Amino acid sequence: MNKTLQIAWREFTATVMTKGFLIGMLVLPLMMGLVVLLIPWIINMQKAPHVEGTVVIVDDSGLVADGLRDYLTPEAFAKRRLDLKDRVDEIMPPGVRGMAAGNAQADAMIQQQLEQALGMVPQLRIETQAAGSDMDVLKARLRDEADEARPLAVLHVADDAVWPDEGAAIDELGGYELLTRKGVDDRLIDSLQDGSRNAIIAARMNARDLDAGEIRALNRVAHPAIQRVDAGGETAVNEIARKLMPMAFLMLIFISVMTAGQYLMTSTIEEKSSRVVEVLLAAVSPMQLMGGKILGQLAVGSVTLAVYAGLGILALVTLASAGFVDPLMLLWLAIYFLIAFITMAALMAAIGAAVNELREAQALLTPVMLTMVLPMMLWQPISRDPNGTLATVASLIPPVSPFVMILRLSSSVPPPAWQIAASIAIGIAAVFATVWMAGKIFRVGLLMHGKPPNFATLVRWIRMA
Amino acid sequence: MSNAIELRGLNKSFGQKQAVRDMNLDIPQGAMVGFIGPNGAGKSTTLRMVLSILFPDSGDIRVLGNDSALKAKDRIGYLPEERGVYRKMKVSAFLQHMAILKGVDRREARRRAEDWLGRVGLGDVGGKRCEELSKGMQQKVQFISSVIHEPELLILDEPFSGLDPVNMRLLRDLIQQQHAKGVTVLFSTHVMFQAEQLCQHIVMINNGSKVLDDPLSAIRARHAPRTLRFEPIDRAVDVAASLATLPQIADVEAMDEGWQLSLSDGASLEAATQAVAACLAPAKLELIRPTLEDVFIDIVSEGNVDSRGAQAEVAA
Repeated sequence: MNKTLQIAWREFTATVMTKGFLIGMLVLPLMMGLVVLLIPWIINMQKAPHVEGTVVIVDDSGLVADGLRDYLTPEAFAKRRLDLKDRVDEIMPPGVRGMAAGNAQADAMIQQQLEQALGMVPQLRIETQAAGSDMDVLKARLRDEADEARPLAVLHVADDAVWPDEGAAIDELGGYELLTRKGVDDRLIDSLQDGSRNAIIAARMNARDLDAGEIRALNRVAHPAIQRVDAGGETAVNEIARKLMPMAFLMLIFISVMTAGQYLMTSTIEEKSSRVVEVLLAAVSPMQLMGGKILGQLAVGSVTLAVYAGLGILALVTLASAGFVDPLMLLWLAIYFLIAFITMAALMAAIGAAVNELREAQALLTPVMLTMVLPMMLWQPISRDPNGTLATVASLIPPVSPFVMILRLSSSVPPPAWQIAASIAIGIAAVFATVWMAGKIFRVGLLMHGKPPNFATLVRWIRMA
Repeated sequence: MSNAIELRGLNKSFGQKQAVRDMNLDIPQGAMVGFIGPNGAGKSTTLRMVLSILFPDSGDIRVLGNDSALKAKDRIGYLPEERGVYRKMKVSAFLQHMAILKGVDRREARRRAEDWLGRVGLGDVGGKRCEELSKGMQQKVQFISSVIHEPELLILDEPFSGLDPVNMRLLRDLIQQQHAKGVTVLFSTHVMFQAEQLCQHIVMINNGSKVLDDPLSAIRARHAPRTLRFEPIDRAVDVAASLATLPQIADVEAMDEGWQLSLSDGASLEAATQAVAACLAPAKLELIRPTLEDVFIDIVSEGNVDSRGAQAEVAA
C-alpha cells in the first residue's frame, strides 16, 4: 500500500507541479468568462453592418412606401438595436447583466448609447420611384458598376400587396420583390426584408382601420419568471440557468475526467518509452503501478473538479443564483465522477501501456473519445425528456451511464431512486471489469515494444495474461 | 551454503518462439556469476523471470528462499538492459522515489541518495533534472537506484553496454564493492572480456538453453590450450620444415611474430614443448590460453552444426 501511495504521490506532483497544468487550469474559466461577457456584445455587433448607399423603392400599391422609409431611417435602426440589446440583457442572469453594462442605468448613458449606435447603423438614402416604373431600367442601374450612385437594392412592392386584386381571395395578397446588386451584406438584406414585411403588414392594418399597436399588444403574453415552491419556500428560478445546469455538470465531469485521463495516458507512455518502467516493475507489481497511477491522477482530477465546481458555485453565489445547486447534487456528482473517472483512467492506462508513443495512441483513443462525446450529443434529447426510454436505457449502459445520470439528476425531473441505485451498481461493476481487463493489457503491454497492437492483439493479451 | 537463485525446468515461449527451454540453474549466495550468450539467447527473459516481471510457462523459481521474487522484491536490486529515468524529475528525488519503492523510509532514502551521489562523484547534481545529465551520469544514477536499498541479490542486465572505458572501470569497481560486501551478483553480458575480468563462475546460454555452467577455472581446464606460440632464436631457420617432422605437432602456421603450432591429437603438452625446444632453440615458447570468447564461439558454432545436423535428419 505504501508503494502504491508513493507511486500516486509522484504521479500527482509530476502532473500538478508543471506550468502546463496551471495554465490549462486557468485557460478554461478565462475563456468561459470571456464568452459570457462577449455574448451580448457579439449579438449587438451581428446586426450592425455599417453601410451607406441608396435603396430605391417602387411602391405600386401606393400605401407601403412611407412606412418602409420610416423603418429604414438610421434612428429606427439604432432603436431596434438597443431594444434587442435590452432583450438580451433581460434573459442574462442579473450578475452578468451588471458586469456587462456596468452601472449604465442612467438616462445620460442610454442617450450616449443611442448616439453611439446611430454612428454604426446603415445610413440609407431612400429614393422613391413612381409606381409602375420600368423595372428593366432599375435593373440596369444595379448592374452599372461605373455609376457612383449605383443603388444597393431595389424594393418593388406589388400593387396587390395591401388589397387583393378584383376577384382574388384574401390569402392571395401580393408581396414584394427585392433586387440587390452584387456584394450587399446579408444583414442589410435581412433588414430590408424585415422592413418590407413590417411596412406591408402595417399598411394592410391601416387600410382596414385596425390598430397595429393594439394587435401587437394582443399578441404578447408576458413570460413569467418561474417560482419553485417547496418546503423551503418560494425561489425564483432563472430559466436559462436551469436549462444550462445539466450541461454545466456534464462538462464539469467531462473536463476533469478527460484532462486527468490524458495525463495518465501520457505519463504511462513516457514511462514506457523512457524505459523507466522495467526499473519500476522490479520494485512494484504492475497492479500496484497501475493502481498508484490511477490514484494519483484521481487526485489531479479531483483538484480540477473541485476548482471548477468551486468557481462555478462562486459565480452562482455572486449572481445570486446559488439556490439551484442542491447539496445532494454535489454528492451525486462525486459518486458519478469516481465511477466515470476510474473506468476512463483504467482504459487510458491500458492504451498508454499498449503503445510506444503518443502518435500510435490515436487509433485506440478514437473509440474511447467517441463514447465520451456521446452524452454531449444526447444532451438535447435527454434534457427534453429526462425520464424517456432513451435516457433510461443510456443511464444503465457503461461507460456513458455516469454522464447521462448526471444530466438527468440535474434536470428538472430527477430519475426514480431505483434507477440511481441500478446505475451506481452497474457503474461499480463496470469499474471492476475495466480495471481487471486494463490490468492485463497494462501488464503485458508495458514490456512490449515494436509494432503497436490493434484491438485483436489487445483481446489476445487479456486472454493470455 | 544455500542458493540465492534456483531455477528448475524453466520454459518460456513468446508466440511461436521458445525463448527459454528447460533451464536449470543454481546461484550460490555470495557468488558473482556472469551470464553470457549472444543477443537473443534468452538472457534477459531468464533474468526477468527470476524477478517475476515475466512469468514462466512451466518450471519453478526460488529466489532468496522464496518461491517468487515478488515476496523478496525489496531485497533484490535490478538494473535492466533497457533502463531509463524520469526525464523531468530531479536526480535526488528520482533516487528517493526508487528507494521508497524498495521499502526504504523517506528520511533514510534522502540520506542515502546524497551519500551515493557523493560517492560516485555526482555530489553537485542532486538538484538537477535527470534530462540534464550526460548519458554516463545517467547510468551512474541508474546503478545507484538499483543498489540504494542495499539488496542481498543484485541482478544486472548488460550493465556495461554503452559505457566509455572510464565509466566502465568505475562501474566494475562498484560491482566489486557490492560483491565484497557479500551481495550475490548475477550479471549478463555478451562481452566475454567483462565476464572474464569479474567472475569466478560462468553460465552460458544459447538459443534459450544452458550450454555451460562452470567455474571459470574449470572452463579453462576443459578447454585446455592445444596451441603453442613459438619464436626461434635463429630467425633464418625454416621453422615450418623443421617442426613439421615432429609427431607431436600437427600443423605450423606463421603468425605476425613467430609461429603458431597446433598439437596433434593425443600429444601431451609436456612432450610437445620438450620436443619443440629440443628441435629448435626457442627465444619464446608459450601456451596460447583460449579466451572465453574462443570457448563461446566454439560452443555456439558447435550448436549451429548440431542443429543443422538435426534439420538434416528431419529432412531425411
